Amino acid sequence: MNKAVRLWVLGVGCAGVAVLFAGAFRRLPEFGGSHHPYGARAVAAALHRHTANVVSSVNFDQRSFDTLGEQAILFGAVLGTVVVLRQAKDERRVPPEPAVVAPTVRGYALVSLPLTLLVGLYVVAHGQLSPGGGFQGGLVVATALHLLYVAVDYRALERLRPVPVFALADAFGDAAYLLLGLAVLVAGASFLGNVLPLGTFNTLASGGIVPLLNAAIGIEVAAAAVVLLAQFLDQALELVPRDGEHR
Amino acid sequence: MTAERVLPLLVAVPLLGAALLVGAGRWLPRYTADVFGLLVSGGTGALAVVELVGARGEPGPVEWVAGWRPEGGSGVGIVLVGDGAGLGLAALISALVTAALVYSRRFFDEPPPGQAGAFPALLLLFQAGMCGFVLTGDLFNAFVFFELMGVIAYALTGYRVEEARAVQGALTFGFVNSLGGYATLLGIGLLYARTGELGFAQIGAALDAAAGGGDALVTTGFALVATGLLVKAAAVPFHFWLPDAHSVAPTPVCMLLSGVMVELGVYGIARLYWATFAGPGGVSAADAHWVLLVQGVSTAVLGAVMCWQQRHLKRLLAFSTIAHTGLFLTALSALTPEAATGVGVYLVAHAGVKAALFGCVGVLLDRFGSVDERELHGRGRELRFVGVLFALGGLALAGLPPFGTALGKALCEEAAGPGATVLFVAVSAVTGAAVLRTAAGVFLGAGQPPAGPPHFAPRAAVRGEGKEQRPGASERRGADEFGTSDGHDTASGPEQEGEPETTGSGEEPETAGPVTRAPDSMLVATTALLAGGLAVGCVPALWPHLAHAADGLSDHSAYLAAVFGSPETPPASAAPSWRVSGVLLDLLATLLALVLARTAPRITAGTRRAAWARPLRRLHSGHVGDYVACTVAGMALLGLLLR
Repeated sequence: MNKAVRLWVLGVGCAGVAVLFAGAFRRLPEFGGSHHPYGARAVAAALHRHTANVVSSVNFDQRSFDTLGEQAILFGAVLGTVVVLRQAKDERRVPPEPAVVAPTVRGYALVSLPLTLLVGLYVVAHGQLSPGGGFQGGLVVATALHLLYVAVDYRALERLRPVPVFALADAFGDAAYLLLGLAVLVAGASFLGNVLPLGTFNTLASGGIVPLLNAAIGIEVAAAAVVLLAQFLDQALELVPRDGEHR
Repeated sequence: MTAERVLPLLVAVPLLGAALLVGAGRWLPRYTADVFGLLVSGGTGALAVVELVGARGEPGPVEWVAGWRPEGGSGVGIVLVGDGAGLGLAALISALVTAALVYSRRFFDEPPPGQAGAFPALLLLFQAGMCGFVLTGDLFNAFVFFELMGVIAYALTGYRVEEARAVQGALTFGFVNSLGGYATLLGIGLLYARTGELGFAQIGAALDAAAGGGDALVTTGFALVATGLLVKAAAVPFHFWLPDAHSVAPTPVCMLLSGVMVELGVYGIARLYWATFAGPGGVSAADAHWVLLVQGVSTAVLGAVMCWQQRHLKRLLAFSTIAHTGLFLTALSALTPEAATGVGVYLVAHAGVKAALFGCVGVLLDRFGSVDERELHGRGRELRFVGVLFALGGLALAGLPPFGTALGKALCEEAAGPGATVLFVAVSAVTGAAVLRTAAGVFLGAGQPPAGPPHFAPRAAVRGEGKEQRPGASERRGADEFGTSDGHDTASGPEQEGEPETTGSGEEPETAGPVTRAPDSMLVATTALLAGGLAVGCVPALWPHLAHAADGLSDHSAYLAAVFGSPETPPASAAPSWRVSGVLLDLLATLLALVLARTAPRITAGTRRAAWARPLRRLHSGHVGDYVACTVAGMALLGLLLR
């Protein structure tokens, strides 16, 4: 197809899809209605299980099997990236060059690094109580580490961030989620069942299995983000074509 | 542990295996990693079989994950349904993954540094995604596993990163499949907005409870969810990613993509329709029949036409997969339990046969560093056993009794009517003939020696990179010589002009054993797969299981009853068996295939790539933009057909 034909096909297709959606949207429930069958049930179930953050209750209790699939997607995506961005035969590794960083940038990044790390850990730890949780907090933790790259340079980051350790942590977080589920199964309940004591509502030790699964996800997401970024940064900063010059 | 409780293990065990392989990858020797992967995938398959046999004659175990059994008819949890279709497919998936792992023992020259377990781990994740997809009774959960399959499949397709085309093929695959995924998600959103439910059965029950039947929202929801599944199933016009991905993916990955992943799209459509939309509040049977028939016939015809014109063997097989998916959809459009049985038999047998054919092509690639029909002309004489397997695979595709494909084809013809029978005979004859023609040329040297350079010059050898001439490297080179698409001039050019020649290029040492033998692991896996395809047609003990699975799959109310805890056994349809008319039609298709293949060597490539089909070939341009435009247009067409 040449460009004109392609755009025509796309345009007609989009118009058709728009017609479909227009028809469907007119039959949606009215905006602002009070009929939320799943929402009502999910909130009731979360309260029943002493989990203040309903979203975490859905993620790590009511629909924890979805999260199992989602964390597998993340794990698989990282593994796929490691495989696809591996050092190919026609590439060689060069040491990254030291970078000059403006003092204000360095100062800001060095101050915000520990703060960001603390916020990330807080968000993970309070997943069962307040908005956030393992997914969100894990990413904040990974971001904190990468402030070192902004503040100093890639060599500093590499020293603080041994990729094999984080790859291991990634696999550990993934395995921990599964092993928790299996442990419940072995103990005589359903896979991933919430059979732990539920604790006092709105305290750190509440929600039964929710904080544990949440922590496993926190470890996996933080480690996965670090490994993932390491692959891309390596590709951009360290790997050069074998017969080529430094990029 | 009860049979219900064990169901999630079919997903959790391969996932855990993958995690352990990645975690310990740094310290594991490759051999250990491979054996571990085999044990995990095989063990998962054994578990699926045990569950299947344990549920014999009954609707099968139903598990509410984490114990969220609904109270008073409504709940918040995810349900896994281990019915005949789900568990049977989980067993099939596990068998194919195990075969692919055996096959790949000697295939890749080296794993990524420090990641000896990366490839088996990816296959295990793929297995987990597919098993989750077939077992779940929850639409959103199915979407999650659909995405897991996708992500892993993209990475596996792009595994040979040294080759730009592999990355391109994976990227195209990713774009088109992600687009399908978005459509599915939008559809789930619409259905959720209407019903406040996410389970197949729960949505179905809510739709049935609402008076008035399916309106625009319901049909649009169905069309959008189905779009994602049809992209996976490579139905026209969503199929463009498939040949591009197959021509660059490593052979064991092709086995899984063509053998079972694509077919899961067909399964998904069947499950979606019968579990959710077959009731009074869903999509009318006439509409569903019409849409599936249009999709099926166009896909089958396009697949067969394109298949015949290929010389890149993996592309040829890829288009034959498209043709057969079209046949599955055509048969499914009858929407009867008998049709579902026929598709089930056909699908299972096709999985074995198609994977075996890819296995044979992988051996050729390993030996000669090429997958070009012409370059390989007459060079396969030394690989007599592989030749026999390949020819048998071709005959099985055409429908030679007693292969399971022949039985499945006969059952589908019976269920789909006389008009469809013509299509079934023609399409299976053409795809079978394409394989047989290749078999005669490559393994017997039949017909004219090809024009152009008689010997193939491996590009890497010309460049003097001798150390790359190992199996994995030769796989790369094979793909290197040909475009991933039909529309590009470089891809369709008959010769690689200006390509320097190197004498004795086919004799690189690749294995420790005698050069005329392929690695045992590859032959064992390929033979076992073909034997599986044969067994489906020859072992009558399997047939009642397949009929039982199809009965459960195609019964709306029985599925709802099973999920809501009051299982009822659907009326049992007759177990499939051979009939004289079916056998005669099978023999006719086989004969046609042989005649076509017999005349083929006299047809030059120029006429085989007929001028009238040029626009069709050019449509398969390898341009992601084209594919995306076609996918969007197809989505609109699907929705409007349902109006």
